[in-house]
Amino acid sequence: MNLEGLAELFLYSASMWWAIIPAVLIGILMGAIPGFAAHNTIIMLLPLTLAVDVDIALTFMVALYCASHLGGGIPAILLNIPGTGGAAATTLDGYPMSQQGKASKALALSFVASIMAGLITSAVTLFMLQYLSQVGFYIRSVEMVVVMLFGLALIAAIAAKDMIKGLIAGALGLMLGAMGADHIYATPRGTFGFLELFDGVPLVPALIGLFAISEALIMLESRTIAATASSRVMPTWVETLREILGAFKHWFLMVWASLLGLVIGVMPGAGASIAAFVAYQQARVFSKTPEKFGTGHEQGVVAPEAANNGVTTGTLVPLLAIGVPGGSTAAVMMVVLQFHGVPFGPRLFVQDPILAYGVIMSMFVAYVFMLVTLFPLTRYLSRITVVANYYMAPMIVAFTLVGAFVPRNFMADLTIAVAFGIIGYVARKTGYNVAAILIGVILGPLLERSFLLSMRISGGDPMVFFSSTIGNILWVLLAATLLATPSITLLRKLRRKGDIY
Amino acid sequence: MSDDKSPDRKQVGSDLIIPVAGICYAIYYVYSVWEFPAEAQRSGFFLAGLLLTLCLLLFARIAVQMAQGRVDWEFTALLGPSEGRLRRLGFVALIAAYLLTVRTLGFTLTTFSFLFIGSMLAGLQSVRRAAVFAATAAIAGWLFFIVLLGTRFPLGPFEALVAQLVSLWK
Repeated sequence: MNLEGLAELFLYSASMWWAIIPAVLIGILMGAIPGFAAHNTIIMLLPLTLAVDVDIALTFMVALYCASHLGGGIPAILLNIPGTGGAAATTLDGYPMSQQGKASKALALSFVASIMAGLITSAVTLFMLQYLSQVGFYIRSVEMVVVMLFGLALIAAIAAKDMIKGLIAGALGLMLGAMGADHIYATPRGTFGFLELFDGVPLVPALIGLFAISEALIMLESRTIAATASSRVMPTWVETLREILGAFKHWFLMVWASLLGLVIGVMPGAGASIAAFVAYQQARVFSKTPEKFGTGHEQGVVAPEAANNGVTTGTLVPLLAIGVPGGSTAAVMMVVLQFHGVPFGPRLFVQDPILAYGVIMSMFVAYVFMLVTLFPLTRYLSRITVVANYYMAPMIVAFTLVGAFVPRNFMADLTIAVAFGIIGYVARKTGYNVAAILIGVILGPLLERSFLLSMRISGGDPMVFFSSTIGNILWVLLAATLLATPSITLLRKLRRKGDIY
Repeated sequence: MSDDKSPDRKQVGSDLIIPVAGICYAIYYVYSVWEFPAEAQRSGFFLAGLLLTLCLLLFARIAVQMAQGRVDWEFTALLGPSEGRLRRLGFVALIAAYLLTVRTLGFTLTTFSFLFIGSMLAGLQSVRRAAVFAATAAIAGWLFFIVLLGTRFPLGPFEALVAQLVSLWK
């Protein structure tokens, strides 16, 4: 598509501002409430999206989707509760910043990184769509197994202070994620006889329990989130502007992390959570001050937020290019496209190229509209951290439990959320990373499916996992990730003893 | 007397809860797939084996630290600071009560009761402020989740009363 065509498409997408603005507002609000992720919200609004023309419906859904990823970072920073799985990595440095009374700065970093990442990746995708779509073809079940194990090992190595505890948390998550009917014979496993667990562990109650309920229980131990001494957190307009402009000094990290997110997003199933942790690790590796990560470091907020917004564009690429949805929101969009009789994959580009490129352009326009939300969100939202915990903790539990109920309308999901809340509380108190447990629960079923598929293809030969070049490279990276921390510790010990220089 | 406050000594005890619970679940999981055909057992065995190996590594590390006398046993860290511990346990009991009553009382009344008692348990001193806070949040939650979003959360006497009033008004 040439520049003139893109300009025309931009104006056409911008003319749908009346659909984009409410979608952005709903998306930010819903993204900030754990459980009301983009796909749930779109499902709730499905009758509305089916009633209007397909281009309006897609614009609305895409804007809502992008905004929900931006919104997911808000509770991650302010309350240590990621609104979406992709924001789990943001808690690592975002929440410590809030505790230090720098909530508005953390929000400014998060919003600028999210919006910049969205603008960059949607612009890149518009030009590279046909090439990016090829990435998905190289990732088969064998590579997916290694990608997921690599992602989990990375999370364990990064997020947890104690690597072995991080790995145990991840493995426990995988084990819990493998609960439910098996993929071949549909016979229930490890469900304790509960019918509600037949389909596996529901993700939203797990997320709400691990993060929201456990955090609420821990909140009761202190009066407010921000330290009393640093509770003057409402910045002036000038300070807000300075914080927003200050965020741009991380422009290189934003570009790098967003492109990383885009590429990871293109791989079906990899998702925002892995992308955010990979970006976090990359930022730490190349940082001049890696020791500050985890203590409220600016780069620790920028990298995951840029990456998870880069993923939003990436997950739509396989849907548009090859007709395979890259994530749950893309799957819901696929339903709407199907309802309107729109073809997928290469046929979409032949029959309706305006619609195909229009989806990405709508994303670009939605991020432009989001720029206007920067100021009020950054300035006012940070006040949450000085609200007394005797208000916050009961409210978090009461309202997130509604979120746990929404996706399946099962009352049992409330009990599951509370059970995960207790697991999360014990894990937090004893140094097991809850993000690693959650990512394990998310990846468990996907890992199992890819594992079984690979084993079936190979006739039960486990060597199949070492049969591809991409897979082998990832195995090496996995081994390097696992060995890096103990090796560095050993080297430091030897250096301290004076054995090496 | 041992030096309990030494920074080199590790507090161990409550951090064994997660691995022990994990091992118990892994054993139960393997038991649940024991009768399955070999093909369907593989992933379960793989995941259970992975978890078991990692837990054994942790136990081995603790055993070495114990042998070196660098370990202190404790279980109190799990419950947080002793101040307000009873109130926090009361809050957990309140969550359990919420789960038991929400089907009968419905969203609004259960949320009101939960927020009212919960905020008092969490340290709010004024009964009037707790009541105003609980009523405002419960009504706002009802308007947002039930009226606006139309979630199918259980309805109770409050929602029935509102529905009746609306039908009378119409």
